[in-house]
Amino acid sequence: MEFDGERILDGINLYFNDKEFLTLLGPSGCGKTTTLRIIGGFLTPTSGRVLFDGKCINDVPAYERQINTVFQRYALFPHLDVYGNIAFGLKVAKLPKEEIQKRVQDILSVVGLTGFEHRSIDSLSGGQQQRVAIARALVNRPKVLLLDEPLAALDLRLRKDMQNELKRIQQAMGITFIYVTHDQEEALSMSDTVVVMDKGRIQQIGKPEDIYNEPKNAFVADFIGESNILDGIMLSDYKVKFFGRVFDCVDAGFAPNEPVDVVIRPEDIDFVPAGEGHLVGTVTSVTFKGLNYDIIVDFRGFKWLIQTTDYHSEGETVGIRLNPEDIHIMHKSEYSGMFGDYSSYSAEYDELTEDADNEEE
Amino acid sequence: MKKTNRILTILIFAFLYLPMLVLVVASFNTGKNLTIFEGFTLDQYKALFQDKDLLALLGNSLLISILSTAIATAFGTFSAVGIHSMKPRLRKTVMSLTNIPMTNPDIVTGISLSLLFVFIGSALLHQKESLNFWTLLIAHITFNLPYVILNVMPKLKQMNPALQDAAMDLGCTPVQSFFKVTLHEIMPGIVSGAIMAFTMSLDDFVISYFVSGNGFLTLPVEIYSYTKKPMQPRVYAMFTLLFLLIFVLMVAMNLLQIRSDRKKLIKQVKPVSSRQKTFRRVCAIACAIAILLGCGWLILSTRQNKVTLNVMNWGQNIADGSDGTLDIIAAFEEKYPDIDVNYTTYDSNESLYAKLAGGGLTVDLIIPSDYMIARLKQENMLLPLNFDNIPNYKYVQEAFKNTAYDPENKYSVPYTWGTVGIIYNAKFVDEADVTGWELLWNEKYKGKILQFDNSRDAFGVAQFLSGISINTTDAEELRQSANKLAEQNPLVRQYVMDQIYSIMEGENAWIAPYYAGDCMMMMDANPDLRFYLPEEQGFNLFIDAMCIPTCSENKDAAEKFINFLCEPEISGANMDYICYGSPIEGARDYMDEYLAESDVIYPDQSILDKGVSYLFLPAETNRLMDNLFMEIRIAGQQPEEEEEASALPVVLTLSGLAAAAALLFLPKRKHK
Repeated sequence: MEFDGERILDGINLYFNDKEFLTLLGPSGCGKTTTLRIIGGFLTPTSGRVLFDGKCINDVPAYERQINTVFQRYALFPHLDVYGNIAFGLKVAKLPKEEIQKRVQDILSVVGLTGFEHRSIDSLSGGQQQRVAIARALVNRPKVLLLDEPLAALDLRLRKDMQNELKRIQQAMGITFIYVTHDQEEALSMSDTVVVMDKGRIQQIGKPEDIYNEPKNAFVADFIGESNILDGIMLSDYKVKFFGRVFDCVDAGFAPNEPVDVVIRPEDIDFVPAGEGHLVGTVTSVTFKGLNYDIIVDFRGFKWLIQTTDYHSEGETVGIRLNPEDIHIMHKSEYSGMFGDYSSYSAEYDELTEDADNEEE
Repeated sequence: MKKTNRILTILIFAFLYLPMLVLVVASFNTGKNLTIFEGFTLDQYKALFQDKDLLALLGNSLLISILSTAIATAFGTFSAVGIHSMKPRLRKTVMSLTNIPMTNPDIVTGISLSLLFVFIGSALLHQKESLNFWTLLIAHITFNLPYVILNVMPKLKQMNPALQDAAMDLGCTPVQSFFKVTLHEIMPGIVSGAIMAFTMSLDDFVISYFVSGNGFLTLPVEIYSYTKKPMQPRVYAMFTLLFLLIFVLMVAMNLLQIRSDRKKLIKQVKPVSSRQKTFRRVCAIACAIAILLGCGWLILSTRQNKVTLNVMNWGQNIADGSDGTLDIIAAFEEKYPDIDVNYTTYDSNESLYAKLAGGGLTVDLIIPSDYMIARLKQENMLLPLNFDNIPNYKYVQEAFKNTAYDPENKYSVPYTWGTVGIIYNAKFVDEADVTGWELLWNEKYKGKILQFDNSRDAFGVAQFLSGISINTTDAEELRQSANKLAEQNPLVRQYVMDQIYSIMEGENAWIAPYYAGDCMMMMDANPDLRFYLPEEQGFNLFIDAMCIPTCSENKDAAEKFINFLCEPEISGANMDYICYGSPIEGARDYMDEYLAESDVIYPDQSILDKGVSYLFLPAETNRLMDNLFMEIRIAGQQPEEEEEASALPVVLTLSGLAAAAALLFLPKRKHK
């Protein structure tokens, strides 16, 4: 896919299964909305094919595809009331009146808006508008429902409720959901399959657990959760060397002495007294996070993020132990060396990445 | 501070609405004088609804405005959608191109359209009458379009583009999505654009003036030619109704807006049943049909499938049934049911000439003044009359035959005649001073003297005083006359034509030269006014006569009309309205006594013999006279060095314009 000569999407190769909840996850500008718009039929790809039930639908316009979309910020029709919005697609399809009425009532009860038929759109709250948007798309009984950052405009609390709601609706209706978000937590908690994208390419496809536990490269490791990423050398199967020390691990299948990226999740690290540790370092900062403390520890100039419920004060010398299952080995990639160093860590780090949610075009 | 603000607001409203108030009050006034409210009456409204011509014109105006608004709104909306979907740079260019016609002076647009229509009509389609209803409609659509586009564009820009995607997503084709979604979103823009277009169209004069043929005129174009006499009060009544209509419309629209805003705030919207919806739709369609039918009826009621006789006359120069006079045209149409008179007007001999010379018109009968007849004859623009069809020519008095402008009586039949004399206010002017034209040069009445605002009549006055022939072509003599007028300039309050009515009747000036018939009407309004004819020095005796121009298509009907107007009874009844002398023998017997006996209208024959008629002068003489007169009007300076004096302002203006243009354009070029 190209825009004005600039390559936006490259080598996207995706399969969607029936009744699956699939999420396209990635930072702003990664091409996830573009992918969605191509599936929806609002964009025609400059190369490649879109297949639906085995048939190429490149030339099928949006209004003839059995696909419906829940748009970013809903795009409800302000001149129609709730009923008018939901019945819109059915009226265009010229269904009999009784059928329209029945289907609108049914879907209203699914999204929990029974009795709201004749409310004007302006009088609804954000969450209610969101439900109307979902109902408007679902009432047409599409084979695939596309959702473009549908929860981005809601506040945190409502977002959590709607996540559960969406999952419930998807299971109740048995429709394939293709969901676009930049929020990794949302992606992990709702999806059957997560597609991590960056720079117009698919970085990894997999179940949420696999993506989290077995990230393919430094980008995925960093984007999904927090990771300390270190340079290492795979001596042989199950033996990796970093920080001048050889550790046991559970990964195999690398070339002997291959340089690799080593991922250690902050919550997997256990503190031990300084003398008993594999590695010894100094605490440089402590941040209380509610569930746990974010502790930054300096190991020979390389700073790690460690999440623990134990309190350690700043300046304290601590030791850590690494179990084989805590260590995850990845091939080197273009992202190596770009992530996983917490030297510039600050408490606002999380919020900064989340704020950048303006969508790509 | 608050107080000043409030006072300012009140002042602004007064400023905006006072003129309307005066109009409304005038429409209910019993008297004809604007300055005095004599009593409340609805007569003007009655007269308005009995005036078929005025109603037909109103119908024309409404029809053109509604049709052009509807078409321009549809076109404009689609164009706006098209422009909106262009790439930004192209969109900007196209938008500036559509905005230019709006800032273009109307007169330029009007003349260019007129040229185009005449070129296409006569050169390509070989139509005799290339200016007609359709050209007028096209012109109105043309100037309405930019207003619609300009109002719709911002709404398109404001619209959430995802709405269209959403519609397509729900199964709409792009066309369906436009009608089901986009149209609703941009409706406020469309409505305000349509309203703007409608008002622009309804009161457009300049463009309409140039593109309308005489077959179909709008109200403003016709009203503009009502200059020979004061505005008829029924026109005030019509304007009051128009103003009220617009006012009610605007208030209603605002109320609807407020209601719908409030509705949005109330959470539960009352469901509109489909029966209600159908009912509303039926109502709207019925309204639209009713309006169109009404306009059509207004127009058709005066015009059916008959021979059309196109008559062009001075404004208010034929009895029309008002004030108990005879409706001449109605009487004629009653006598000849197969002839339909299409009556249009002009405001000066010169504008009549311009219309005829411009081509593209069918005119069967005109009533120009003596010297203009000579000119039209000389330029072969008149057809010789068939006097077998005009047996009533026998009633024409000998004094009006074998005139200088038509010595062989081949081209014209006299219609009215009159004199130019002095009207003065006896309350302020000493009768002993009323000795001749020198009264207009009397220092004693400085600032209370009026003078003609047209060169020929103004020079005439000076020439009678100086003993120079009013038909002189000698430059030296003309300059002498101009000096005489320049000498008078410091005493003159104002150079006027039809404004003279209110000034003299309101006693703001005391002395003026004017046409006898008009003076008669002013004397009617203010009993202190007197008329004086300087018989010793001489005065202008003018004749307006009926002629058939070469572009006529119904010469027979025109001759029937001429013959009809020569009937003594008809001519007499006609004079009751226009207050001039009839050249028809016996007409005087049918006139109101006070007119028939008036020595203003009918001076003694011995006096009349002193009257002199204008002759057609060569173009260069006219031009010299115009230039000299303009200098007196503008500068009030001695017109000795007329060549330099006329060149200097032109040079100054041009260099000013050039400087302004340079300032405007040079920095822009730098940016590029």
